[in-house]
Amino acid sequence: MDDLRMLRDLGRELEDDPPASLARQRARLADAAAGAGRAARSPGRPPRPGRWTLLGVVAAATAALILVPAVLLRGGEDRSRPGRPASGADGPDTTMNVLLIGSDARGNGEAARSDSIVLAHLPKGRGSALAASLPRDSQVRIPACRTRTGGHAPAHRGRLGEAFAIGGTACTVKTVESATGVQVDLALTVDFGGFRSMVDALGGVPFTVPQAIDDPSSGFRISAGTHRLNGAQALGYVRVRHGVGDGSDLMRVERQQRFLAALAKRAKDVQTGNPVRFLAFLKAASGSVEMAPRLDLKGLQEVARSLGRTKPGTVRYTTVKVRPDPSDLARLVWDQAAAARLFAHFKTRD
Amino acid sequence: MPDGDLIARSLDDPEAFAALFDRYAPMLYRYVSRRLGPEQAEDVVGDTFLAAFGRRRRYDLAQPDARPWLFGIATKLVARHHRAEAARYRALRRSPVDGPVEGPADRVAAGVTARASRPLLTEALAGLNRRDLDVLLLVAWGDLAYEEVARALGIPVGTVRSRLNRARRKVRAALGGADPTREEA
Repeated sequence: MDDLRMLRDLGRELEDDPPASLARQRARLADAAAGAGRAARSPGRPPRPGRWTLLGVVAAATAALILVPAVLLRGGEDRSRPGRPASGADGPDTTMNVLLIGSDARGNGEAARSDSIVLAHLPKGRGSALAASLPRDSQVRIPACRTRTGGHAPAHRGRLGEAFAIGGTACTVKTVESATGVQVDLALTVDFGGFRSMVDALGGVPFTVPQAIDDPSSGFRISAGTHRLNGAQALGYVRVRHGVGDGSDLMRVERQQRFLAALAKRAKDVQTGNPVRFLAFLKAASGSVEMAPRLDLKGLQEVARSLGRTKPGTVRYTTVKVRPDPSDLARLVWDQAAAARLFAHFKTRD
Repeated sequence: MPDGDLIARSLDDPEAFAALFDRYAPMLYRYVSRRLGPEQAEDVVGDTFLAAFGRRRRYDLAQPDARPWLFGIATKLVARHHRAEAARYRALRRSPVDGPVEGPADRVAAGVTARASRPLLTEALAGLNRRDLDVLLLVAWGDLAYEEVARALGIPVGTVRSRLNRARRKVRAALGGADPTREEA
């Protein structure tokens, strides 16, 4: 028997089919490409609305959508402790930095990874906001963190996304603060499963799909016209990149924003028309967003109100400029000069 | 659109590069999973595309097919795990694999041959030096032609031939003499 043929047979036995999680690797590449694209389009200029990672939008809109209801649900216990230390959210007269973390925890026991990390700056008055996506593959110094199991992880250089796997929200906040020099006043962590259960808790969201989608790579298909999307369909719709339009991230952002507007409207309708169902929604919402630090009632209401006051058009989205590490091209490092310029915006407190 | 044009486009529009992932990630994943197993393969494929993206300006745009370039990068990344790779082959030497036990007689016979010769094959792979192994597996598992292997590894075609010959000689020596089917009988 021919040795090459035997070797080919062996290879076929050993090979593994590409798993669905390979999409995560594509997202890593897309993050890097988006960072490079932004740098190419607007060198040194203030960022314009544009590319946006999925969960950044979901997290920001969800935060605005659910903070008030979540507070109403938890309000009693928080109100009973007036002696809590003052939170960072003192009112629209105070500048705030909010870290939004989208996690892909799927509740199946696997360690959650942070899928998108966005630092948002809400200046005094809240007339505008600036949001910077931080690619999770950025090489940064991860400070010593407490692990989820209570252990101690020493400081080391690694990927920004690792921080979440090591020590969840707290470690990610610590890492972002150390890498950017920006103080994080509030961190919000939203996971995919939470988004799905919120939509399901509302009994689905009526939504008009402008054009049919058939995406063989994710298996997501939907016809044009009005549908009532359940949680899984909604998630598929906001994540899909292929089989619709020009496949660009920009179009995905538009789809996400349109869907989130429909979600907000549905939540409002349910709130007035079906209080029982709305309670289920509140439970799903409050259970799927993790806040650090836990704000007091006033602080939460303030964040929700001020986010509501910020019109979508006045939020500028950007991605921190990255480039491959010359010593290891598979790793990304921040363009330090550009990063310093960008994060200077976050440090203004007036 | 040929790969070369796609890469040229990605110089101005970096996000166009993702289309290359959609074209070749599954193929590269299969190749790397054969060499390192599924756990490592996912990260290596991701690293391959990040590295490729980082050096896309150095791509020879006259080459319409990016496969050799991508396989070359993936192979260099696999090389970082060479000890793990050799350990994997040695472990496979001991673990039996399921082959067809029912079906046309010739297929069953071929399965028996393959299974019987497998410990010898994996043993031989574990013993090859990295350079010879890379050439052999780019041909056998990456389905690259000699010229493409030369491009992938940045070596002359003559060197590809000599390394491949040496590798195959060693594999045949490991298999040879003892015909596994006769030994079984």
